[in-house]
Amino acid sequence: MRSINEFSPVLLFIVVAVIFTIVPIFIAYLIAPRTKGRKTLETYECGIEPFGSAWIRYSITYYIYALIFIAFDVDVLYLFPVAVSYTHGDRWWEFVALIVFVSLLALAIIYAWGKGVFRWERKYFP
Amino acid sequence: MGKEILPVRFAVLDKVLNLARANSLWPMTFGLACCAIEMMATAMSRFDLDRFGAAVYRATPRQADLMIVTGTVTKKIAPVFTTLYDQMPSPKWVIAMGNCAISGGPFAFEGQYSIIEGVDLLVPVDVYVPGCPPRPEALLEGFLKLEEKITKTRRFPGPEKRW
Amino acid sequence: MVEEVKSGISQLLRERRPVEEPYGEKGYHLSVDMAPKDLIDVGRFFKEKGFYLACALCVDFRDYLELVYFFAHHEGHCRVKVTSRLDPQAPYAPSLSSVFGSALWYEREIHEFFGVRFEGHPNMAYLFLHGGIDFYPLRKEKVMVSEEDRALLNSFRPEEGEDTFFINLGPQHPSTHGVLRVVLKMDGEYIERAEPVMGYLHRMHEKMAENRTYLQFLPNTGRMDYLGAMAFNLGYVTAVERLCGIKAPPRAQYVRVIATELNRISSHLLWLGAYLADLGAMTPFLYVFDDREQILDILEGITGSRLTYCYFRFGGLFNDVDEDFITGVRRFIARMRGRFQIYDDLVTKNVIFINRTRNVGVITRETARQYGVSGPVLRGAGIAMDMRKKEPYAAYGEFDFSIPTGSYGDAHDIYLVRFKEMEESLNIIEQALNGLPEGPIMAEKVPKKLKPPKGDLYHVVETPRGELGIYIVSDESDIPYRMKWRVPSFANLMVFPELVRGCLLADAIAILGSLDLVIPEIDR
Repeated sequence: MRSINEFSPVLLFIVVAVIFTIVPIFIAYLIAPRTKGRKTLETYECGIEPFGSAWIRYSITYYIYALIFIAFDVDVLYLFPVAVSYTHGDRWWEFVALIVFVSLLALAIIYAWGKGVFRWERKYFP
Repeated sequence: MGKEILPVRFAVLDKVLNLARANSLWPMTFGLACCAIEMMATAMSRFDLDRFGAAVYRATPRQADLMIVTGTVTKKIAPVFTTLYDQMPSPKWVIAMGNCAISGGPFAFEGQYSIIEGVDLLVPVDVYVPGCPPRPEALLEGFLKLEEKITKTRRFPGPEKRW
Repeated sequence: MVEEVKSGISQLLRERRPVEEPYGEKGYHLSVDMAPKDLIDVGRFFKEKGFYLACALCVDFRDYLELVYFFAHHEGHCRVKVTSRLDPQAPYAPSLSSVFGSALWYEREIHEFFGVRFEGHPNMAYLFLHGGIDFYPLRKEKVMVSEEDRALLNSFRPEEGEDTFFINLGPQHPSTHGVLRVVLKMDGEYIERAEPVMGYLHRMHEKMAENRTYLQFLPNTGRMDYLGAMAFNLGYVTAVERLCGIKAPPRAQYVRVIATELNRISSHLLWLGAYLADLGAMTPFLYVFDDREQILDILEGITGSRLTYCYFRFGGLFNDVDEDFITGVRRFIARMRGRFQIYDDLVTKNVIFINRTRNVGVITRETARQYGVSGPVLRGAGIAMDMRKKEPYAAYGEFDFSIPTGSYGDAHDIYLVRFKEMEESLNIIEQALNGLPEGPIMAEKVPKKLKPPKGDLYHVVETPRGELGIYIVSDESDIPYRMKWRVPSFANLMVFPELVRGCLLADAIAILGSLDLVIPEIDR
């Protein structure tokens, strides 16, 4: 069981990252000139006012991408404990276990690739 | 320009900021007509615009601070043009390049019904670069004049000082 | 071919007979005048014979409005002018859009400039003019817009569908090569419908032509298509010379050919750089501008301008070429042949480029015939029509060059056609330089105030984009009565909505780039 002091670099890292992001925003807020025209806060669409609604049902091909992303997100979650307890080659079978794990997940991608998920064919409208 | 949060301004800070803004003007691509080709030629290898920090052309006005109006502004595109100008964050500058943007150019004749004679009827213009189309060297001189306007000093010798 | 068309039309319309016109003076072989109600039958006749609608325009003679249609053939050599008179108080005509797809936009244009109403046209909305206009611009007297047309002024609003959203490939876009707006109705990433909106650079060239003398209008021609300005200049100057019966001396004709071909190379080079920049490749853009600067240096030495040339005059040139020019051109030809190898290695065999342009935007011969497509786009589809070979002008008849054609009609074939055209242009320049005759550069008796005889003329030249047609109606004064420019990009853009249906958005950019549009010539 490690003591909590070993995680103090992590805490320092988090604090520095937060400062790094907040301070430029604050400085810009102080010294930037502020003007607003009539159309400044409108959506940019090449200068034309956008018309039509954007809240529609999207096509199923996007769903497949989202599914693949979720699967690999969970995969990364499982890899976090591995990163912490990896012994950099002292025990060789850890590396083999890791490779087997990752390649089984990659098989899913290869299956999707073979099924044609990444090929978006031309649609024919009547 | 506009209201600021701090009630005081620091001269040194202003000077540094102006120097930074002048040496990294990011133009927005607003090529309308023939002058756009000369603007592209200015950004290419022979008349390199990148040495003045300015060849990072942004297509979106949100990240640009310079609008080079190259070409004739017609009545149909005027609302699009003012929308794009509004959508640029300040501080922003405008260079009117070519005769059409300055005063209608060769298309301002009696009985004309479609163009706007000069882009300064729509937006405030900082530098006018005349020509039809102006040579790339003229556009570079316009850039340096704009830098001079922002920083109150001129970095490179002008043509009249050379000879 | 002329004979069979003449007999076919005589059979079709019993009361009006076609008149044979002298092609050398008029630019067309037959002219037929008919009542408006017969237009659709004649249109169908021409469609069966394989003709295409080259141009549709209207002329305002003060007592009547005259609708003029030009039909031409891709392979054969026959051009027919069909006219029809309309009453200026009640100008109604049937629409040819059910027969020829290209009539859709021509009729919209005639409607907004002259007030002619076409019955049977599916969508009579305004094409070029802005929303606040309240008169018909090209009429000789000021005629206010009628009540029913007032409702059409701001009426562009496509209907919404289920599960689709609209996106503007707007006027301010790095890839539309000018100010073209395309309203896309998207279904996810696929485009269901594309509707181009033009007129953002309408600079009233045709109205200016009616207020300027022939010589004063000459600089305008360079501004219409700024990349191929020499070809537009050449077309205008040869048209007026043909109208007045002036012949330019041989040395002037040869120099005209050299200058126009150099301009063609520079225009194709810029197209190459811009197209590849659209597809994401930044390097060829820089290489291309370097080559272009060499050409611009050569042309600046004789003309004085870099981009919008005004070099030709009626009767010849205004400035002779000197030894610097000739040595410069020879050096350029030698250098350019080596540079083609670089482009070949960098672009033609590039896997990404081939994947992005193979099978993208396939144009069939039927589509090309339906819409009057011309230029490298047409030659990529397999039809070998080049006005320099078909109706030679300005010394092109004396050179030996071939016309590259593609076979499939996709964007890759169009690219290969343009590439080979650059090589052919180098051959033409070399032949012209080797055979450059000595002599004067200006014809002898060119009047200061040019007053062409009464009549009309349709002159055709080949610009880097395709077939340019100039129709001039002259009434013996030194100001043209009506000048109409039939520009190739207008007809080429008409195929775009059909090609892009069902494609991904990135493919639409590739198709738009392969058509090589220059928007100021569409908007005139």
